[in-house]
Amino acid sequence: MAEEPKPAKAPVVMATVAWDGAIPELLREHLGGSVLDTLLYLDQPFAVLTLAAMLPALDLLHAEADFDYLVDITAVDYPKREPRFELIYIVYSHSRNERVRLKAQLPVDQNPLSAVPIFLGANWLEREVFDMFGIEFAGHPDLRRILMPEEWSGFPLRKDYGITQMDNRWVRNNLGIESGQ
Amino acid sequence: MKQFLRRFFLIDLLEGLWVTFRNQDPKRIVTEQYPSQRPEVSERYRGAPRLNVHPETQETLCISCNLCAVACPENLIVVGSVRNPETKRKDLVTFTYDLSRCMFCGLCEDACPVDALELTQDFEIASYTREGLIWDRQALEEGPRPTQYRQ
Amino acid sequence: MTSIDSNELVLNMGPQHPSTHGVLRIVLKLDGERVKSTECVIGYLHRGVEKIAENRTYVQFAPYVDRMDYLAAVSNGLGYCLAVEKLMAAVAPPRAQAVRVILTELNRIASHLLWLGTHALDIGAITPLFYTLREREEVLKIFENYCGARLTTHAFRIGGLQYELYEGFEQQVNTFCDQFPGKIDEYEELLSGNRIWRERLRGVGVIDAATCKRYGVTGPMLRAAGVPWDLRKAQPYSGYEQYEFDVPTRTGGDTLDRYFVRLDEMRQSVRIVRQAVAKIPTGPIMAKIAKVIKPPVGEAYVSIEAPKGELGYFIVSDGTTHPYRLRVRPPSFVNLQALPHMAKGALVADVVAIIGTIDIVLGEVDR
Repeated sequence: MAEEPKPAKAPVVMATVAWDGAIPELLREHLGGSVLDTLLYLDQPFAVLTLAAMLPALDLLHAEADFDYLVDITAVDYPKREPRFELIYIVYSHSRNERVRLKAQLPVDQNPLSAVPIFLGANWLEREVFDMFGIEFAGHPDLRRILMPEEWSGFPLRKDYGITQMDNRWVRNNLGIESGQ
Repeated sequence: MKQFLRRFFLIDLLEGLWVTFRNQDPKRIVTEQYPSQRPEVSERYRGAPRLNVHPETQETLCISCNLCAVACPENLIVVGSVRNPETKRKDLVTFTYDLSRCMFCGLCEDACPVDALELTQDFEIASYTREGLIWDRQALEEGPRPTQYRQ
Repeated sequence: MTSIDSNELVLNMGPQHPSTHGVLRIVLKLDGERVKSTECVIGYLHRGVEKIAENRTYVQFAPYVDRMDYLAAVSNGLGYCLAVEKLMAAVAPPRAQAVRVILTELNRIASHLLWLGTHALDIGAITPLFYTLREREEVLKIFENYCGARLTTHAFRIGGLQYELYEGFEQQVNTFCDQFPGKIDEYEELLSGNRIWRERLRGVGVIDAATCKRYGVTGPMLRAAGVPWDLRKAQPYSGYEQYEFDVPTRTGGDTLDRYFVRLDEMRQSVRIVRQAVAKIPTGPIMAKIAKVIKPPVGEAYVSIEAPKGELGYFIVSDGTTHPYRLRVRPPSFVNLQALPHMAKGALVADVVAIIGTIDIVLGEVDR
């Protein structure tokens, strides 16, 4: 199907405002130019970092600002964008009662460092990101698939993976049926 | 000493047994004897779907607007209609509802602008086959007919 | 005493095992009766909820969240609705918020009741299960009367509520609130003083506050370790700041303490429900939002205090009717991670108690 390029619409972006305060300052002070942006959207603060600065930033927040609870690690796939993935860490501080998101862009061929040395809880969360997106965390103690079967091929939450798509070979070998659909 | 006596005479266990004993009271029975005693489901219960007909003319209320099919998360409703050349309206021909995939969320019922599709209080919708759960227009209008067993 | 040579025994517990509460498989490495290490194998109930979300509209996805933690479907629904409302910068009207609080707290009671019954059953006390299910039935009846379903309720809609309260709602809820505290005392009579119960639970599966934080453990498990952290207090949502309630804590961090914390939480929930029912505001039940839900481009993370811990939704919107990415932060999944730590050195029989005390729902662990 030949697609006519649509008349250019104004690019829709997140209506963010700048985020200032102690934590952006702390991040900037220690990581300098690696902190690309500190923003607020819907009153939720997030910092955009370079990939290399992600782990130092987590370590810094953990050690200096008492962010002692890693809420979640997840990723978003933008197949048309380069770099393709966006890696998101959510951390929370019990003493400050603050929640901060750290984001970094991640190309397909790069491996981020594992956060397990800082937060033990990162173990399964990173395994799930690996399972769903195929992002390999360097230095992870036990990087295997967690929700999908271990021999499964393909990464279900990537955008190019169809909703009814499955690993037919695995289904045939293990379930003895031609298709799960 | 008191602690020892409590332990010795198994007071803690007897206390628990007393609770059990208290609950033996026949007035406290809450179980229902299902097949002989029909459970009362609430008015808003979301059970078997029904396609309502006009009580007098027996004509369907459905206007074939397809909104239920669009609203359904599982895409299990298929509405078939033809355009009536005289009235310029769509006339309902077929209506298929795949109960085997239905999760009774009630979104189709909410979407219906004329209260034609409704989830009713009928809950006996089991079937021996998968095909038996795919309801056509007739089944939807007449309701489920569970197999009757002899006493 | 000379030690006896023993081989390490690998024991598969589950996935079909009644006390793993679903389809959890645990590979236990045993030295006699002692657990040397545990490994959880999960994913048997994986349905790809996050992938389904990307292929449904915001409205259509709401029934699916009920099927994650199916024992607390109302809490799941609340979290999801709050997250989408946050993205749309909409707020549910006060009446809807009050009803949401009532139903969510009742759901917390129902969830804890089922936990208590099954946990006691795992330990060997069969009787409490019948009583807890009896009380849970009362809660489920309220749900059925309100929204027409008992378990997977789909009770809330984005922007407010679909259903107006039925006649007699307040009365039914008040009757429940009057009777229920007495029933909790009854459970306590059965269990709290019982020496078998106490001996089986005391000192089993100890996890301290610092370790909880390192693992990201939340909910009753964290509170039993002495951290009075509850999202309803820390970052109130849906009008929780209006209600008076305490955050029950214990300090030991063992299985017995978690039992007490959950019992106290049920009492606090009754307290919240009473206050909320006494002053349900009048007014609309649905915020004025567009009929087609299309949040602007952006992202938001919203979390609530579900019965099991922090339940979060991270939604990325690309400005269409479908979420671009929807991530669920499930409390059970994260809490289960602490199992190897808690079960290390325990007896095999205690592993059953420890799984029970984490209060997992595999539908949520695997999603």
